[in-house]
Amino acid sequence: MAKTILVVDDSASLRQVVSIALKGAGYDIIEACDGKDALGKLNGQKIHLIISDVNMPNMDGITFVTEAKKKAEYKFTPVIMLTTEAGEDKKQAGQAAGAKAWVVKPFQPAQMLTAVSKLVLP
Amino acid sequence: MGRNGTAGVVYFPIEGEMTIYAVSNLREQIIPAVAEHEEIEIDLSRVTEIDAAGVQLMVAAKLEAILRSKTLRYVGHSKAVLDIIDLCDLGSFFGDQVVLHQND
Amino acid sequence: MNLDEALKTFIIESGELLEQMEAALLRIEQDPDDPDIINDIFRAAHTIKGSAGLFGLDYIVSFTHVAESVLDRVRSGELHIDGDLAALLLESADHIGTLVGHTAKGEEPNTESADLSIAIMERLGAYLGNKEKKTEGKKGEEKKAGVPAELDHKIGKEGGSAVESDNWHISLRFGKDVLRNGMDPLSFIRYLATLGRIVHIVTLIDSIPPLKEMDAETCYLGFEIAFNSAADKSTIEGVFEFVRDDCQIRILPPNSKIGEYLALIQDLPEEDMRLGEILVLCGTLTQCELEKMLQQQQESGAPVKIGEALVEQHIVQAPVVEAALQKQKQVKETKTSESSLIRVDAAKLDQLINLVGELIIAGAGASLAALRSGQADLIESTATLSRMVEEVRDSALSLRMVQIGATFNKFQRVVRDVSKELGKDIRLEISGAETELDKTVVEKIGDPLTHLVRNSMDHGIESAEVRLARGKPAQGTLKLNAYHDSGSIVIEVSDDGGGLNKDKILAKAIERGLVKPEQQLSDAEIYNLIFEAGFSTADAVSNLSGRGVGMDVVRRNIQALRGTVDIESEMGKGATMRIRLPLTLAIIDGFLVGVGNAAYVVPLDMVLECIEMSDAERNATANAERGYLNLRGEVLPYLRLRDMFEVEGTPPRRENVVVVQYAGQKAGLVVDKLMGEFQTVIKPLGKVFGGVRGIGGFTILGSGEVALILDVQRLVHQLGNREQKMITAGQ
Repeated sequence: MAKTILVVDDSASLRQVVSIALKGAGYDIIEACDGKDALGKLNGQKIHLIISDVNMPNMDGITFVTEAKKKAEYKFTPVIMLTTEAGEDKKQAGQAAGAKAWVVKPFQPAQMLTAVSKLVLP
Repeated sequence: MGRNGTAGVVYFPIEGEMTIYAVSNLREQIIPAVAEHEEIEIDLSRVTEIDAAGVQLMVAAKLEAILRSKTLRYVGHSKAVLDIIDLCDLGSFFGDQVVLHQND
Repeated sequence: MNLDEALKTFIIESGELLEQMEAALLRIEQDPDDPDIINDIFRAAHTIKGSAGLFGLDYIVSFTHVAESVLDRVRSGELHIDGDLAALLLESADHIGTLVGHTAKGEEPNTESADLSIAIMERLGAYLGNKEKKTEGKKGEEKKAGVPAELDHKIGKEGGSAVESDNWHISLRFGKDVLRNGMDPLSFIRYLATLGRIVHIVTLIDSIPPLKEMDAETCYLGFEIAFNSAADKSTIEGVFEFVRDDCQIRILPPNSKIGEYLALIQDLPEEDMRLGEILVLCGTLTQCELEKMLQQQQESGAPVKIGEALVEQHIVQAPVVEAALQKQKQVKETKTSESSLIRVDAAKLDQLINLVGELIIAGAGASLAALRSGQADLIESTATLSRMVEEVRDSALSLRMVQIGATFNKFQRVVRDVSKELGKDIRLEISGAETELDKTVVEKIGDPLTHLVRNSMDHGIESAEVRLARGKPAQGTLKLNAYHDSGSIVIEVSDDGGGLNKDKILAKAIERGLVKPEQQLSDAEIYNLIFEAGFSTADAVSNLSGRGVGMDVVRRNIQALRGTVDIESEMGKGATMRIRLPLTLAIIDGFLVGVGNAAYVVPLDMVLECIEMSDAERNATANAERGYLNLRGEVLPYLRLRDMFEVEGTPPRRENVVVVQYAGQKAGLVVDKLMGEFQTVIKPLGKVFGGVRGIGGFTILGSGEVALILDVQRLVHQLGNREQKMITAGQ
């Protein structure tokens, strides 16, 4: 059974490229364009991994992860946060929210696939 | 979840995930099963997913049974379980028969 | 969806983002401190950079990166947007648009654009001061920090010689929160396996608390891994990048110095001796290297000395360390050759064994047909073929052979836990760990072995007070030993406890109605009574044992493996439980015999000789199902298969006796004819034959006929009991 990954980023093209790379490796992908949209998509179905940008309109990534971890079904779901080098403070806030894995933007699709594979193999 | 089988043997099937999401509940159910029965047969044939938390629980339950002089067997290992046991090289620890070809 | 379409999305998206950025930049002049507007501008640049990176559009990434860095300073309040900066940022946005335009046309930026990029970046750079450089530097450091280095600093150049193993050695102790953080240690290991080959892995379960005390969501696991890979160190370290803050991770490159392993062992939380053994089990260190390491440690006067420390803490006695090392010296080189192992799905192996089984049957059919045809060349070819098939069988079966060491090792933990629970001080000694046996046998032997170990600890080894009173060391010793003995593997569980009390067992058995008071029993038979259902001799029934649960199950399980269990005991000195098992369950070399029209197979390794029954003996024993023969002055009990299996018809003029031996007992099987050696694939008996005594399985002959495989051990056992009884009665 394919593992399901929720990709949250306000850039449609980023989501598309990440989706192409991850689908190609055998994962199922659900896309969301910001934290609010993503939270709405956490409706009880099994999610094996969340990839989320930090800086997004409507609801930022850290608020989203904090909210997601409050739901029993997603309490222990691993999170990869997308960050910029400059985001040290954000990183700490994210760690506190339960996001332990970080990938620095910009990244190549292969880098993302590597990071994802470490946490969840397809 | 567990129900009585024949002569002191309790049959205990685990269904679905045996991951961090499920282990706390499973532990609560396994403790009385081991306490109250002489022989516990845990059916893993419907385990869809297992992680390190699940493996730890399997080990702890087995050790508990050994400590109480009970017999605890894992049977019908699903592919997910077999893969993990193989990955951890714990097959001989559990000592369960996982190859079913002899009765084919 | 493909990448071209995604690129189109990127171009459209960038256009929209640049429009938003422009609008926001125009608004910012009215409201320069509105954080939402500033964030909108920042996010536009940030998003474009992130997406451009995915497409490998470096010219957009590097330019946008500088603009983003300036905007980050604005966002953090270090910079204030004035008219000039707003104008520069608008210009930057326009230029990003130009760069994206090149992408849209599918071209690289022209010189004009490239020059403009540099010019604008220089002007943006003026707003950065030293900040950007600082960040870059920090980033570099971060990358370098990585996983703790392999302790070079501790060892310096005194590390000694390099070890033989070509494998990386990875030690992992996962932090207690990793599971709660969504990180599954097994995912990392699975990913690790994609970078090379896990040659050996030992899962450390020592830290898992008892079921009732454990928090199922806390991680208690550790792993020692021998890893074969061409990947470089940073790649291997990178596997664990997401958990490196919470975990103890040690990675030693191939052929590291012995001293580095020593440091590793001392650094890890487990007992040094146990870790040393684990490293040997992993094939990371050879026994010889472990020994050298202990020696080196003593010479160098290192702060913690494995051997000495263990002696000081009374964990082991000095002679034990020496003896262990002596023993280890003798261990075959098999362990060091593990570097060229590959992992195979057990199911595939079983399929191969099944196919080889079929091949043997087909080969036997061909041989038979060749013999009937009488063509010499055909007979010769099939003979060669049979020999080859035999070799294929042997090598296929050897693939399934595994060392019993891993099974033995789990008892370290069991003995430790049970000792604690019983309040006894018991040490486990393991020998013969390298003895190999069939994987399917290993899988099934764990439970019976556990029960025997439990039994020895419960009933065998006395409490410390009793031991001291008897002049024994306070610490009890439990031994696990394994060795090969004529086609069988023997596994021994011995203790230096009080031994079995014959009188007490007998009294109990009589009380339980298992034997009648007037019955005469041999010592062995009395000991074997403890394997009867519902038997228990414990004086005090503890909550752990004394229920008599298990020992009958033990015997049943061992018998199901075509094995036996017997007991040797000496009052006050200890007892040894000896399990004897066939090396493999699937195929045996058989000796084919005929009775009437029926064919039977006797496992060849149990056949001692075949003799013809003399007329005198025939007359004396005619038609008796059982009796005695004179075998060169020796009394040989025999069974007549014809009577035993109620074969129709009259016996031929000449009958033969197959003399078999099992576990030191001899017996004769009277048959009509001897048909020679034959390879046999054992098929388990179905329900139809399940109840027939003395039959262990069946096989299909080359001719398509069915032959029953005799359960010799059971037959011998029956005869042996009778013989002993008669001897005892005669005294």
